[in-house]
Amino acid sequence: MTVITKRITIAVIGVFAFGPVYWLLVTALTPNEDVFRFPPRLWPSRVTWEHFANLADNPALARYLTNSVIVASLTAVLTVMVSAYTAYSFSKFRYRGRRSLMYLILASQMFPQALLLITLYLIFSASGLLNTYLALILSFTTFTLPLCVWMLKGFFDTVPDELLEAAKVDGAGQLSAIHRILLPVSLPGLIATGLFAFIRGWNDFIFALTLAGPEKQTLPPGLVNTYLGEFQAAWPDLMAASLVVSLPVVIGFVILQRYLVAGLVSGAVKG
Amino acid sequence: MSLTRRSLLAIAGAGALAACAPSTPAPPAVEDPLKDDGVKDFSFTAWSLNEASTKDALQSMVDRYAGGSGGKITTASYPYNDYLNQVLLQIRGGTLTGAMQVDVAWLATLAATGRLADLGSIAGKADYTEAALSIGKVQGKQYGIPWTSAGIGLIANKDLLSQAGVTNPPKTITEFESALRALKALGNGVVPWAAMTKVDQLKDFIAWMWAFGSPVVKDGRIVVGDDASVEALTWYKKLYDEKLIAPDVNRFDARALFAQGKVGFYEDAIGGRGAVVKAATDKSLGDKLMPVSRPMRSSGVKPVNLAWGHALVVLQGTGAAAASRFVTAVTGTAAYNSEWFAKTGLPPTTKSALDTAAVKNDAFTTAFTGAIGGFVAADPFWIYPKFAQIESALANGVQAALIGKASPKDALAEARTQMEALTA
Repeated sequence: MTVITKRITIAVIGVFAFGPVYWLLVTALTPNEDVFRFPPRLWPSRVTWEHFANLADNPALARYLTNSVIVASLTAVLTVMVSAYTAYSFSKFRYRGRRSLMYLILASQMFPQALLLITLYLIFSASGLLNTYLALILSFTTFTLPLCVWMLKGFFDTVPDELLEAAKVDGAGQLSAIHRILLPVSLPGLIATGLFAFIRGWNDFIFALTLAGPEKQTLPPGLVNTYLGEFQAAWPDLMAASLVVSLPVVIGFVILQRYLVAGLVSGAVKG
Repeated sequence: MSLTRRSLLAIAGAGALAACAPSTPAPPAVEDPLKDDGVKDFSFTAWSLNEASTKDALQSMVDRYAGGSGGKITTASYPYNDYLNQVLLQIRGGTLTGAMQVDVAWLATLAATGRLADLGSIAGKADYTEAALSIGKVQGKQYGIPWTSAGIGLIANKDLLSQAGVTNPPKTITEFESALRALKALGNGVVPWAAMTKVDQLKDFIAWMWAFGSPVVKDGRIVVGDDASVEALTWYKKLYDEKLIAPDVNRFDARALFAQGKVGFYEDAIGGRGAVVKAATDKSLGDKLMPVSRPMRSSGVKPVNLAWGHALVVLQGTGAAAASRFVTAVTGTAAYNSEWFAKTGLPPTTKSALDTAAVKNDAFTTAFTGAIGGFVAADPFWIYPKFAQIESALANGVQAALIGKASPKDALAEARTQMEALTA
C-alpha cells in the first residue's frame, strides 16, 4: 500500500468517524433559523452560543448526567467482576459442559432486545425493582456479559498457566492466584471490558426509558424527552447538550484509550 | 429417561422462550371504576409535561390543582414518539394508574387493554362539543375526555401565494395543481408543497383519498385500492415526479422548510404554528400563515380533514375517582381552558370556552377552525388496535408507488392485503 493510498484511506475513515461529531458541533453553533437552511453550510454564517447558554435553564440535565454516570459505572464494575470469574473458569478449567455453557452464554446475545425488554419489565415490576438504578444495572449487565466473558476468556488464554501454577506452588490459593496474579497482568483486558460495558450502559435508550422512571432517567432518554416532541425538534439545543455531557466521558476515554487498544488486541491474539 | 447435553440445552432454550412471553391476564371486571375510594393522590402521565411549549403551563396547572384538591399528583412523561409503547407496557404490567394524556389516535389501542375507565358519567359535567366528544369514543364508550381538538389540514404561506399570483385559496384539485405550478415558477428553491413523503407521516394521504372520493373504509371493510384511491395516488405521484412535492419530507422537515419561507403549502395540526413561528427567520411569518380548506376533486363537495386531538383518560385502579375529577377540571373549567389556550394556542373543547373572546379574537385559530377544524373525520383505522401497523402498510404502499417500485394500483392492492391481515 503506497503512502498516498494510506493517507486517502485514513482520510476516508476520518470523515466517517469525525464527520458526525463535526456536524453535531456545527449544528450546536448554528442559529435556530439556519439549521435547516438548504443547501446546508459546512460552517454557520453566524455562530451562536445561545444553545449552550440554554443548557443552564435545564437543571434536569445534571440529574440525567449523574444517573448516567452511576448506572454506566456500576454496570462496568459488575460486568468486569462477573465476567472475570466466568472467563477464568472457561479459560483455565476443563470440565463437562464447558463448551456448551460458553455457547449458551453467547446464544443469549441472539434474542431481540425488545423481546427481553418486556420480560425484564415484568420481572422487575414483580420484584419491585422498577424505577431503580438496580433495574438498569442488572439489565445492562445482562447484555454486556456474553461478549465480555468471551473477550476476557480470550485475554486469559494468553496468560500462561505456568504463571498461575507457580503462584500455587508458592502457596497461593485459587482466589489468591486470581486476584494477585491473573487480574493484575490482565489489567488492559479488564479495562477494555469495563469500557465496553460502560459504553453500553451510557448509550442505551430504550431500556433506560422503560425501566428507570422519571427520577432515574439517564441521558439518552432524558435528552430526547427534553428536546424532541410532538411539536418540537430542538436539534441545536439537543446537539449542544450532547456535546457538553459527552465531554467528561471523552476525556476519560482519552486517558484510558491505550488500555482499551492493548486489551482488545491482546485478547484477539489467541482465543 | 436419560438427559443428554443436547436435550438439556433444548429444555433451557424452551424455558427461555417461555420466560420471554409476556403475561396478558384478562383484566378483572370493574363495576364502577370511578367510585370514590377516598384516595386523593394519583399520577398524571403526559408528554406535554416535557415539551418546551407546554411544560411550564401544564406543570403550573397540575400544581395549582394539587394545591386546591389537597392531594399529591405524581407526574411522569415520555417522548411523544415512544409514548404509546411506554404506556402500553406499563398498563399491561399493571403499574400505571391515574390520569393520562393521549393522542386520540391511540384510544382504540389503549381501550383494548381493558384498563381504561369509561368516562361516560363525567362527559356531561362540562359543555363539550359533540364533535370533540366523538373523538374520545371507542365503540360507543367515552374512554377519553377531549382536551384539544382540531384537524390536520393545509396551511399556506400567504406571501408566497401572493407572489405567485394565487389570489384565492384553491378549492379544487385542479386549482390546487395550478397554484403549485405557479409557486414552482417562482424558482429560488421554493418547494410548492411540502407534502408528507416519508413513511412516518404518510397517513396524511388518507385525507387525499377522501378528497378523490374514496371512502377508504366502507361498511367495516378496507377499500383502499378502489378506483378513487388509485386516482389519488396517481395524482400524488404525478406531483412527486414533477417536483411539485419534495422527496423525504416528514412533519418536522416540512415545518423547518416552511419556517424558512421556502414552502407554499404544508399540512399540520393547529399546534404546529408555534414550532414554525419559533424557527422562522421572518418574525412576521406568523401573520402569513393561512389555513386552507382541503381542495376536493369537484367543487362544492364538503372538504374532509383528518381529525387530530388530545384527550385525557383515566386508568382503573387506585385514585381513579380523584383522577377523573382532575380530568374534568383541566378539560372543562373556564380557568384551566383559558390558561391552556393562552399559553399553548391549543383550542379548548367546550362550547363556552370556544365562545370566549380570547379564542374568537385569535385570528389563526378562527381561520383554522373555519377552514379545517370544522370539517374533520376520524382516521378510519383508529378503530383497529393495530392502527399503527395498518397505517404503516398504507404508507409503505404509497411510498413504493412514489419511488416507482410499483404502480399505484399494485401498490395499493398490496397495501390492502397487508392491512386486511392486520385487522383480522
